[in-house]
Order: sequence, then C-alpha cells, then structure tokens
Amino acid sequence: MAEMTMTSSPDRVNLRPLSPATRLARALAPWARRLILWAFAIWCLFPIYWLATMSLKRQVDAMARTPRFWFQPIWDNYLAVIKAGDIWNYFGSSLIVALATTAVALALGIPTAYVLARYRFRGNSDFGFWILSTRMTPPVAMLIPFFVLYVRTGLMDTYPGLVIAHVAINLSIVVWLMKGFFEDLPSELEEAAFMDGATYFQAFRQICLPVALPGIAAVAILSFLFSWNEFLFSLVLTNEIRTVPVGLYSFVGYQQVRWGELSASAVLMLVPVLAFVFIFQKQLVRGLTMGATK
Amino acid sequence: MRSSAARSRNRFILLMLAPATVLLAGLTLIPFVVSVGFSLTNYSLTAPNDIAFIGLGNYLALFSSSEFWNAAWITVLFTVVAVGLQLVLGVGIAALLHHETRAVSALRLIYLLPMAITPVAAVFTFRMMFNPTLGVFNYILKTMGLPAQDWLGSPTMALVSLILVDSWQWTPFILLIAAGGLAALDEEPLEAARMDGAGPMAIFFQHTLPMLFPYLAVAIVFRSIDAFKTFDIIFVLTNGGPGVATRTLNLLAYKQGIEFLSMGYAAAIAIVMLIVTIVASQLFLRRVDLFKPKAAL
Amino acid sequence: MSKSVLPPKGGLHLPITRRSLLQATAILSGAGILSVHGVPVFASEVFDDIKGQWESAKMDWKRQSGATIVLNGVQHPWMDAITPLVPHFTKLTGIEVKVQTQSESEYIASLPVKLGAKSATPDVYMVWALGQAVTAGWLEPLGPMFADPKLTDLAWWDVDDLFPSTRAYQTWADGNQYVVSVTAEAQTLFANKTMLDEKGLALPKTMDELLATAKALKTDDIAGIAMRAKSGDGATWPAGGFVFSYGGAIIGLDGKVAVDQPEAVAAIDMYGKLLREAGPIGSGNYHWMECLNDFMAGAVAMSSDSSNFATDIGNKDKSAVAGQAIYGGMPTAAGKPAKPNIYNWTIGMNPNAANKDAAFLFLLWATSKPTAAMAAAAGLATQRTSAWKTSAFGERFGKQAVSAVLENLNAADADLMKATWFHAKGPQILDAFGIGVNEVVTGAKDAQSAMTAAAEKMRAAIG
Repeated sequence: MAEMTMTSSPDRVNLRPLSPATRLARALAPWARRLILWAFAIWCLFPIYWLATMSLKRQVDAMARTPRFWFQPIWDNYLAVIKAGDIWNYFGSSLIVALATTAVALALGIPTAYVLARYRFRGNSDFGFWILSTRMTPPVAMLIPFFVLYVRTGLMDTYPGLVIAHVAINLSIVVWLMKGFFEDLPSELEEAAFMDGATYFQAFRQICLPVALPGIAAVAILSFLFSWNEFLFSLVLTNEIRTVPVGLYSFVGYQQVRWGELSASAVLMLVPVLAFVFIFQKQLVRGLTMGATK
Repeated sequence: MRSSAARSRNRFILLMLAPATVLLAGLTLIPFVVSVGFSLTNYSLTAPNDIAFIGLGNYLALFSSSEFWNAAWITVLFTVVAVGLQLVLGVGIAALLHHETRAVSALRLIYLLPMAITPVAAVFTFRMMFNPTLGVFNYILKTMGLPAQDWLGSPTMALVSLILVDSWQWTPFILLIAAGGLAALDEEPLEAARMDGAGPMAIFFQHTLPMLFPYLAVAIVFRSIDAFKTFDIIFVLTNGGPGVATRTLNLLAYKQGIEFLSMGYAAAIAIVMLIVTIVASQLFLRRVDLFKPKAAL
Repeated sequence: MSKSVLPPKGGLHLPITRRSLLQATAILSGAGILSVHGVPVFASEVFDDIKGQWESAKMDWKRQSGATIVLNGVQHPWMDAITPLVPHFTKLTGIEVKVQTQSESEYIASLPVKLGAKSATPDVYMVWALGQAVTAGWLEPLGPMFADPKLTDLAWWDVDDLFPSTRAYQTWADGNQYVVSVTAEAQTLFANKTMLDEKGLALPKTMDELLATAKALKTDDIAGIAMRAKSGDGATWPAGGFVFSYGGAIIGLDGKVAVDQPEAVAAIDMYGKLLREAGPIGSGNYHWMECLNDFMAGAVAMSSDSSNFATDIGNKDKSAVAGQAIYGGMPTAAGKPAKPNIYNWTIGMNPNAANKDAAFLFLLWATSKPTAAMAAAAGLATQRTSAWKTSAFGERFGKQAVSAVLENLNAADADLMKATWFHAKGPQILDAFGIGVNEVVTGAKDAQSAMTAAAEKMRAAIG
C-alpha cells in the first residue's frame, strides 16, 4: 500500500487542447524544476564540499589568499586523525549513545504518541503540550540542576546517563511526529480488531504498530541525527566518554584551529551517518507517508 | 461491565503514558523547579554562600534593561524570518521534488547532508567562507563582477548571514516533513481540481497546502522552538556583534550564566524565554487545532 | 584517558627529540650531550637519563605514591607540551594522572558548572578567569604549601627564574598565591618584512609611525594592519595594551573605572583609526583567528597580537609568509612608556580535591625548571627565563622573535592588566569594553561616546 504513493505522479496528461505557448511552457517546466532542485542541492553541498577540500589541503593552502579550487590533494590529515585513534572512540561513543537513544526514545515515545492520537481522555491536550514544552527550556538554566542531579545519582559520565539525557531532549519530537502518523490511520483499524476480541494493547501492538513501521523508521532517523549531533549535554555530563561533536570541538584550541584534522574528522564521521540515512532513506520518505493507508 | 471496561481502558492509557511521563518528569520538572527557584535569588557562582531570596528582583532588573528588550527583539526577528524562510524553501523544494523523476534519491541524500554533518565543523567552515578577505563567498562574488560583501560586519548583514546559515542547516528538516506529507496526501481532491481546469499554482495553494498543514504545523512548532534557542551559529560567527546587534536572549543568558556566573539572573532570562515560547506555541497550536485526537476511541 | 601516551599534536607538531631536549636541559644541568638521536623525550626509556633533574630537589617525590589525580585543561600548547611528559611524572612520583583536554569554549562552559557544584575533580585545572575563580572559592591557596620546606624545595624550584610580570601575576590582591603560571605571552608587533622592504619602510616605533606605516602598506589587495575587534571578548586584549601604552587604564589601580578618561579614549581612538583607515574590510568581526590567518596568507602586512603566534607564522605548513616576519616592541605614544598587554596561563588546585598533596606535587613538577625546558623545546613559550634562553626554544620560536618578545614581556605592567582582567567582575567589564571597541572600529560610535557608554556599564556591574 505504501508503495503506491511512493510513485509520485509526474506531468500528468492533460486532456484539453493546448496553445503552442502553453505547450512550450509545459515542455520547459521539468527543466526549470530540475534547475531549481539542483541549484538547491549545490547550496546544500557547497559548504560540505568546501570543508572536504580543506581536509585535503595543507593549512597554508586552506587559508590561501585566493581560495584554491584546484590543488594537490594530500591525505596527511586523514592519516593523522586515523593514527591518533581518538576518532574511533568518539565514533564508538556516539554510535552507542545515538542508537540507544533512538531505541529508548521510540520505546517510550510511541506508546505515548499512540494514546495521545487515538484516545480521548481528560487532559489529553494538556499532556501533549507538556511533552512539547520539555523541549522549550533554554539549556543554560538546566545545566547546573542537571549536573548536580547526575553527580548525586551516579549517572555522571556513564552511557545510561547520557542516553537518558538525550532521550529527554528527543522524546517530544518522537511523540509529536508519531502522533501525526497515528492520527492519519482510520479508526476502523482498531474497531475491527476489537470486534475480533483484541485487547487494547493487542490492537496497538498487532494492528497499528506494523502499519506505522515506516513512520517509525522516519522518526528513528531524525532522533538518531539529533542525538548524534547533540553538543551541550554531551559536553557537561561526561568526562571520559566523548561523542563526536565534543571530540571534534577539541580541534578548536586556544589560539589555533586545527583545520586539517577538524575537517578530515568531520568528513570521516559523515560516512557512517550517510550510510545509516542511505539504508533507511526509502523508509524515511515512505514513513512520512502514512496517508497511504487511507 | 461498563465500569470494568472503562477501568481497563484507563489502565491501558495510564500504562502507555507512564514510562515517558516518569522519565520526563524526573529530568525536566526537577531542573525546572530548581531554575525557577534560582531566578528568585541573587545566586551567583562567584558567591555561592551569599545566596539570598530577592523575589522578582531579577525579573524587574531584566525588564528595565534595554539590553533585554534589544535581545528579545533580535531573537523574535531571527526566529520569525529564519523559520519563515525555511518554510518557504522547504515546502517549495519538497513540492518540486514530489514531481521530479530523475535522481530523486541522490537529491534526497544531498538535501539531508546539512543536518548530518557535525555542526561545529560546518559553522567554522562558514566562518572561513564569510571572511571578507580570504573567504570563498567574496571570491565568487568578485569573479562574477559583484562587489565584495562584509558578511558579518553590519548589523543587518550579520543577521542576514546568520539566518542564511541557520536555514542552510535546518531547511532540510522542514523539507523532510513536507516531503513526507506530500507523499501521504490523498490525490483525489487534487485530481478533481485539475479536471476542473485549475492551474498548478491554484491547486497547490488552494488544495495541497491546506492538506499539508497539519504536518507543517508540527515542523513549524519544533523549528521555532529550536530557532528561538539558537546558540552555536551566533556564538561562533558573530559572538553577538557587531556591537550587540546579534546578541539574542539565549546568548545573553549564556553571557550572564556561564561567563558572568550570575546564575539567578540567567535563570530569570531562561524562564522568560520559556514563558514566551509556551504562550506563542499555545496560541499557534490552538489556532491550528492540532490538539484534539481525530479518531476517538 | 589514553591520551597521555600520545605524541604531542597540533601547533607544536614537531616532535621533541631527545637531542633538542638535551640541548635545552644541558644549560640547566650542565650535563653532557648524549648521542642517542630520534628518541622523543616522552619515551619511557629516557626517563632514567633525565630523572636526576627532578630528583635533585630536596623533597620526597614518592610521598603520595599510588594516588590518582585528574588534570583538566584547555586545548592549548601547554597541554600539548605537558601531556606527553606526564608519564615521567607518574614514574617519578607513583601518582597516576588522568588528562582531560577540552576546547576553550567547552571548557569555559563546563568547568564552572562542575566547580560550582563542588565536584572533587578535576584536582588540577587551567584557570581561565582568576578573579572569578578566587572570588568563587574554586582555588586552594598555595602559599602555605610553598612555604613548607617538607613539601617544597623552594631553592630548587627557583622563584627568581620567573619573569617579574609572572611573579606579579601569580600574586593575588590578598597577598596569597592561588595559581602557578605555566606560560607567558606578551602583545607583540609583527610585520611582513618583505612588504616593509618593498616600500622602504622600517618597523614602526611609535603609534604615529604605526598609523603612517599601516596606511602606506595598504593597497587594494593588502590591508596595512589587522587587529582583533570582534564584539564581546574579542577585541579586549590587544586594545588593552593600547590603553596601557597611552598611559591609561580600563580599571585603574585604585579599582575605579578609568576607561572614559582621556588617555584611554585617545588609545581607542587610535585603535579604531588604524583599523578603519588601514584595516581589512570586515575588521569589526576579526578575532585572533582572522588576524592570524590573514597575516599568514600574506593578506595583511602587520598585526599586534600574542607572541605565541610566532610559532605558527614560522611554520611553512601553515604560513605562506614563513621566514618573512619581523617582530618588534610595542609602539610608544607621545613619549610614554610602552606597556604591552600580557597573559599568563595558570594552573591551580581545586579546594575540594581528594588528595591535595598529590595535586601540589603535580603543580610543582609541571612548573619546575626541567619540565619547563622540555616544554620549551617543543616550542612552548613558558613562564621561565631559563627556558626562553635555551637554544632549542630559540630554534623553534625564532631568535629575532625571542628577543622582541622578551623586551615586551619585561616592559609589561602586570598590575594594570590584573586590575581589569582579574577583577571579580572581569568578564562583565571586558564585555562592555569589547563592545565599545567594536563600535569604534565599525564606526558606529566615536571613541569618547563608546568609552563613556562602556564606563557606565562597568560602573553598574561593579556596583
């Protein structure tokens, strides 16, 4: 069912006779569209392209007076980063934290979203809003209480501690996006299940959850990306555990920025994320297409 | 019978909500209460033993300082313009992408890159690219025969540049949700309108956009909440300058809390930001009626 | 952390070889030259050769054997230089050291949170705002420990070897000592000699000459001078040196705001004029990074900034103008003495540290003559005269630069600098000052009105 809406509907055949001008416009439209889409792609790519070229330059070339588009690429920065080895620790920590955060956020967020979307109860909208509001507090005010709480409970500098913090940050987005997907499901789904004698939980678990799988994949990727790139809490709540954003920030030093190592690490760390996104990208778009079941 | 069914329904709802509630309550309510407490004191990390209750003193000081109103205005301006731009770009590109047939998956992957790259690396790259003398942006302008820009130099240009960077990073978020919404749309009403001879623009604005709105509303809310708290981009690129032209509320809170160590005052700023966000999102969500569950079980 | 076994990285990339170490330490110890090449000083096998330099102190290094301490520092050349040497400390004392390095911004964001919550770690940390830290009670007074002959061999440690400005720097207003300096940097004028020679110009000696030279060097492509002017904390340090050299102060020695007095206003007027008339476009957003990058790319002819940059400017991998730079003293204003700004990075002890004596041993070791000489051999600009005079340091830093910077270090007035930077409200004062300088550079305000506004904010902050 989901596949049906995946095949988008390009340039439909128009049944009316067309004037030559309109015909020309219709013929050019796809190219104009393509031009805009690729222009936007270049806008998205250019800073990353520039970062990537810096990772292949000596610092003296990276800062050159006339920006150098053509240069002799060197791999020293990559070799230095790989040889130093810290990058693998950052990568490992980030992977553990981001995957665990995603799993826990989904496990906690999906039931919440389901109930908020499908069941009327007193305070439903207030509860939903409270969930949303947990993302609103500016972190500056939260840092000290959070830190004290973590030191007291022994969560400081532990994987579970960091995962819990990331879950708290991401839960609202999981709940609200999943809520949207569940709302688009027809209520006949559960009603039919109840007729067959299913319990509330079975209706959720066996009927709605499978249909929502693509949506879950989409939210999973967003939650993964948000956790992967989270900086402030990862910084304050850890000492020894270092995630990628915190680790990479250490290339920005006092009176020196290690451009080569910073850019090479950033490019390296883009690879696993891209692989993750690439594998899930079909689900990603399909996942946001829950209306397919209508 | 009836009451036992109601009981099991209530128990189900409770069980489904409990885990997330416990976690969020523990991790956000406690810090929130502590922050409100701080904001009513003169708590400073430089004099941790001299803590005293001063009532609304911090709030009164805040509301009577021009620094605060200036920061509030910049923050609102930044949020509205940035999210507006991202919305237009994100929805526009998503709509075009919806009809595209070639290299769609490559395009999708490229559009996700700005959200995937480690932010610190991207922001420092922008700082290099914005450099008026060595940066590649001015180099490109000059090769095209255009005048070099002082990207972060004047109050207006600095804000424009910051909005550009924020939009570079976050348009993909709106684009992603809009693309999903588009793919999910019921095509029937669109087809009917097309048969009635409506042009593509009319169909988009009169039919597609309203149907897309529930999706976009969630995207707008989250993007606005995050844009209101934007920190790294501003901190690295302008540090609030020139003068105080880009010193937003969150930057002000950081200065007061982390640099000046006046935690009470910083907490007051944070609480004010929280209240503004709550009021604004309540108004918005009530208006778009996103609260009510649609299928009522 | 496993970091402590890694070779040094970054700006001081050059590996410290055994040979350069021995060149450095020979002066101190009088030892002969050993012929083993290529073994870095942090290699464990050289420990036996060099341990004598520390063990000659009349004190018990092993007295806290078995303890573990945490050292927290900024991503900084000192951390780069000291981290590889830490295994020697562990061998010498039996104390394990966990090294944690963070970038300056993350450090400043996370450490107040930890110290404010009375965390027991880090035991030893780099101090970024001394006034704040002392006022907040985040530093253990070190005076009693230095005074105790059982704990310290003071004659061996040799206070007189420190720069005078460093000795002043370490002493807090209450007469106590809370920190020990580990680096010394001074505001230094540097210029591209090739560009000077093309125009037949010499390194300027006075402020008026500086302006004339900067204007003469400016072309359509090249800026005459670049200096920090970014809002907030950006502009404050070099602009401070201008104020001092005009006979002014930001906060006077009497503790009163002086930034709106004629001397300071004249200095900031000159600072703004230099950058408006001879600076690059977008000067108002320049931090040290932009100044240094532009200078190293040959896009700027002069700058007045930290002496530490000599190491990068002379590095061919980073700099297109390596070998072309010339260094000089702070220009003077109308016959007044030049008072370049200085900065020392310092380290201090957390008063909640579990084992204070172990932490103190680390402080002593890290700031001792042999350790400073080894760090200097890696290019670090340390707080010790003896280390500056080693040939190994001269090679790394450049001999001409060494003499210019020594002149600036000795000309500096630490008390003037401390009155502002170490003020309990230092960050607020500097924030107001930085905004004011930025406004003058961008032309938004004239010097008098910008400094008057800054002074009002400072007075409000001081209360």
